[in-house]
Amino acid sequence: MSGIEQADLRLGFIPLVDCAPLAAAAELGLFAAEGLQVSLSREPSWANIRDKLQAGLVDAAHMLGPMALAAAAGVGGPAAPVVAPLALNSGGSAVAVSMSLAAGLGEADPRALSDPMAAARALGAVAARRRARGGPPLTFAAVFPFSMHAYELRWWMAEGGVDPDRDVRLVFTPPPRMAARLRSGEVDGFCAGAPWGEVAAAQGSGVVLFRGGELWPTGPDKVLGVLRAWAEARPRTLQALLRALIRAQLWADAPENRAALARLLARPDYVGAPASVIGEALERSGVSFHRAAAGFPWISQGAWFAAQMARWGQLPAGADAQALARAVCRPGLFRSAAAAVGASAPVRDSKPEGAHASAWSLAGTLGDLPMPADRMFDGRVFDPGQAAAYLDGFAIRRLAAPRPA
Amino acid sequence: MRVLIIDPDEARAALVAEGLAGVRPLAVRRAAALEGVEAELSAFAPDVVVIACDSPERDTLESLREATDSNPRPIVMFVDRSAPGLERAAVEAGVAAYVVDGLSPGRVRPILEVAMSRFELMQKLRADLDRARADLASRKTVERAKGLLMKERGLDEDAAYRLLRKLAMDSGRPLAAVAADLIAFADVLRGKGT
Repeated sequence: MSGIEQADLRLGFIPLVDCAPLAAAAELGLFAAEGLQVSLSREPSWANIRDKLQAGLVDAAHMLGPMALAAAAGVGGPAAPVVAPLALNSGGSAVAVSMSLAAGLGEADPRALSDPMAAARALGAVAARRRARGGPPLTFAAVFPFSMHAYELRWWMAEGGVDPDRDVRLVFTPPPRMAARLRSGEVDGFCAGAPWGEVAAAQGSGVVLFRGGELWPTGPDKVLGVLRAWAEARPRTLQALLRALIRAQLWADAPENRAALARLLARPDYVGAPASVIGEALERSGVSFHRAAAGFPWISQGAWFAAQMARWGQLPAGADAQALARAVCRPGLFRSAAAAVGASAPVRDSKPEGAHASAWSLAGTLGDLPMPADRMFDGRVFDPGQAAAYLDGFAIRRLAAPRPA
Repeated sequence: MRVLIIDPDEARAALVAEGLAGVRPLAVRRAAALEGVEAELSAFAPDVVVIACDSPERDTLESLREATDSNPRPIVMFVDRSAPGLERAAVEAGVAAYVVDGLSPGRVRPILEVAMSRFELMQKLRADLDRARADLASRKTVERAKGLLMKERGLDEDAAYRLLRKLAMDSGRPLAAVAADLIAFADVLRGKGT
């Protein structure tokens, strides 16, 4: 295809259901249709994804949204200007707990197994009883310090009065190892993307307590990350890549394609888990790839991630959440690619997050977009311009010192 | 200096440890995995952790950058701005290093460089081994094809070999490939193949 600056691309990914846009674009020939020869590289850790992207050993990568912000801000690792022109999915995560913790939560409050807020308070009761007995703290695993999963666990616990840094132990493990760590008793619970909660349940090592969508329907998760300099030097390559991925997202969302998607992802070179378990995860996890603007890199969702980083002491106090989100999320790049494939994209870059208790309609470039309710489980609304005020509403938080001048 | 090597590949970890024995003063410990990170770290208290990039436990190490009671020495990824290209070379070699916060790059770099060179050596050894195995396999294929020609065409060993070589030269393909084709065709003619 004419005008593409670089046709051979290497893309890194982690074995998760939300690598679907990459896997489907490769298998359906959508990259080739754009004149791209893409090779996919299955990586063992998020740290590897970050380092390979920074070293130029992959051109683009399946990334945790907050990882892109952390790289741009230079926290948790070397600074690198990463931009996110596409969100890969919304939803899909699950919090799974061991059988014995599930029993303990159910004893503390029978509603704990169906209501995340009741579960959070029950967790507080279980943790306090353990402390009183002098037992070791409960251990929870998330996938990476900068991840939706870490923030979901922290947010949920803190609503129940459990301080995630003091009252429990928080550890980090790549998603495919979660079920084994739960089974061995090393961790009492974890939060990871699909299908790993379902895998733990299918193996009988735990139960899915709730899903990310129960905390925040339409909440953000993974993005496609590229280095800013790479994107600026290859605008046509990037648009071709985005077009292929948006087409793959449309395909992956269609109910009639979900069985084929489950079989594809089940392969050992992608997720490597039984197709039946992946099919169940696709059906029940609430993951979406394009529907309800799931592919749109909202500035307001980037700012929510930045606010979480500030809440838990990962960003210096007073850091501008919205400015960091603007440096990373690139809605304009998404809009151009979406228009080229005939998909409507949101007109605005930001929205109040969590403001809708019922379905609503969002203004789009090629027609209005039907949106589901997006109310968060704590009832709060996040205004990206008022991140500091939002954070002041939380009793449990960990503010870092301001960055020295 | 206390160095912990985390590598699921035991032979490679041994090679790195052996290489580091030349860098003194040094205490080296190896682990295939880092289950129960805090316990291991507080017991050995390494200054440097060398970890294979194909170990899934990098993400576990990444989270130890905060000093806590159980982890009083924060561990950070080793990035040496004074040595451009070092980070990329390390990622390419498949090795990452984490250090106790504040350790000077000059003390860490020789350790990372030894680890990188040993990782590369291991990769070369494995590639050589694969090639040797492939050579052996192709030699066996040629022997079988020769045997086939001797039996079916009543040739002696030399004549069978000359015929194979002529077929290879006429078609411009490697001897082993021609031999493999011959065996496959023979199997089909006998009704063994598909």
